[in-house]
Amino acid sequence: MRPITFGPVALLAPAVVLGLAASTSSGAAVATQGATRTAAIARVVSTAPYPSLASCRTTVTRETRTKGVLTVATDNPVYTPWFVDNTPSNGKGYESAVAYDVASLLGFPRSKVKWVTESFDASYAPGPKAFDFDINEVSVTPDRARAVTFSISYYDTTQSIVALRSDAIVHKHTPEELRQYLYGDQIGTTGLAYIDDHLHPTRAARVYNTLPEAVQALQTHQVDAVVVDTPDGQYMASSEVKGGVQVGQFPSTGEHYGLLFAKGNPLVSCVDSALEVMTRNGTLASLSKRYLRAYTSIPVLKP
Amino acid sequence: MAGQAPRDPTGGDEVAPSSTGDPPISLYSSHRPRLRGRAGSTASAVSTVVVVGAIVLVLSSKSAGPFRNGFLDLHQMWIALVGDPSKGIVSVGKGFFLNIWLSLLCEVLVLVLALGVATLRLTRGPVLLPFRGLAIAYTDFARGVPVILVMLWIGFGVPSLNLGSISSQSPVVYAGFVLVFSYTAYVSEVYRAGILSVPQAQVQAARSLGLSSRTTLRRVVLPQAVRNVLPALLNDFASLQKDTAIVSTLGVAEAVHSAQIAGGVEFNYSGFTMASILFLLVTIPLTRYTDHVMARDRTRRLASATT
Repeated sequence: MRPITFGPVALLAPAVVLGLAASTSSGAAVATQGATRTAAIARVVSTAPYPSLASCRTTVTRETRTKGVLTVATDNPVYTPWFVDNTPSNGKGYESAVAYDVASLLGFPRSKVKWVTESFDASYAPGPKAFDFDINEVSVTPDRARAVTFSISYYDTTQSIVALRSDAIVHKHTPEELRQYLYGDQIGTTGLAYIDDHLHPTRAARVYNTLPEAVQALQTHQVDAVVVDTPDGQYMASSEVKGGVQVGQFPSTGEHYGLLFAKGNPLVSCVDSALEVMTRNGTLASLSKRYLRAYTSIPVLKP
Repeated sequence: MAGQAPRDPTGGDEVAPSSTGDPPISLYSSHRPRLRGRAGSTASAVSTVVVVGAIVLVLSSKSAGPFRNGFLDLHQMWIALVGDPSKGIVSVGKGFFLNIWLSLLCEVLVLVLALGVATLRLTRGPVLLPFRGLAIAYTDFARGVPVILVMLWIGFGVPSLNLGSISSQSPVVYAGFVLVFSYTAYVSEVYRAGILSVPQAQVQAARSLGLSSRTTLRRVVLPQAVRNVLPALLNDFASLQKDTAIVSTLGVAEAVHSAQIAGGVEFNYSGFTMASILFLLVTIPLTRYTDHVMARDRTRRLASATT
């Protein structure tokens, strides 16, 4: 999910721009996205049947902003694993690859895909857009779907547990054991909702106003673990939390990233067909295996 | 002002009536002679209707629909104002309190420190030469670099210096420091202009009466200097008050950042409108007060000149 809180982690990103921080960690982008916090996640997307790709190829060129060109937007800078070398047009990174594969299924060769920059805050501006769709790790929520139109999922986000290496939860995490721990989380996050709805801990989770506060509580052993988006958790465990470890992730509950379109853009139905084909024929799975190993390799836990 | 025509309630008529009896002309609209009679009131009514009508027409047109939904949604403005913890939306109203107290605190520090910098720059002693140089370098630097860049430098740079407690302050502290740092430079120049606007003869007179140079500065120069630049000081205060919004770059949930969070959750910019309204609620009265102070001061000075 895109910026919602800017904790100390997120502050890294602008610092990188300033050249004050030495390295652009792969997680910086993930970190800027903060925590997700819609308790009720629904699939706010169109439903099948999708138009056939063959019929789409004849219609889409007329539906795009510029005839015969697919204009795709993302933020600048962008980070791995979603993009590589801050160059969306190189086809590398999960989101860049997805965009080019969607384009190709709809009949746009690589040369007919044009990238434009759109910041997250500007991507949901009312009125006409400067792009056909925006691909920027945007979580789909019912609230957001009132302002824009989303495609079906191109990446299902999961929730995962971050704890300290020395904590018992690292080795003891059967469903029954998971109920015994004291969790901490930020108010309003999907992580918190997951704890309440799926883990049913014996002690109510401690709720903090910001994610950094929850991280602080973890660091000082006031809570046993926090539950956050897997990409966020990967960054936290590898960079932010001293001695942190990502214990495992839970099966997806349907929260996902979607491509963002101007409200009511008819192009979405053909893009949905393309994504549906990519889900069915394993393209998305192989792309995620290639680029999102850091997330997919985390062991899946049973809640 | 004794013996003049009844005072304009807006505090006008600062220019003594000329011998021809024409009403005085002023650059300030509130002091212009008023249009009187039916022609005048009709003209102002028509122009008001046209201007307001045009604004209403544009905003209510069909093509402005997305704008109304995106920026002027009352429900969204309300959500942003009070916040919605279940969605992680923090209150813009609560955030605005931070803008208020931070600007007040910074203003006090700025007024004190800037006076120091200004007087330092105006000293003559040879011993103070390096300090004068430093003061000049500081004002040049602080006025020459955008506040937001200083904010990023200090806000991200100082914590990375690992200087113990200096590096582990809340972002609000760094933000306050940066605002004080930048505005002290501006305000010191305002003070300096004020001090230089006091005629040299005043200083000479004071010194010839046997006042020390310090007493001359404190009792003779500064009171006149500050009075001369009071509107400029108030102006800078209004500006400082608005610039507290830059604190949002450090991730502090003040009014603007809170509105940004609400925007990101709801995909609606009405929170920005809410934040703008809150800022206007403070800055407009402040600006009116500045106008009032300017008018009052002008009246006083002209009064003392004519008596």
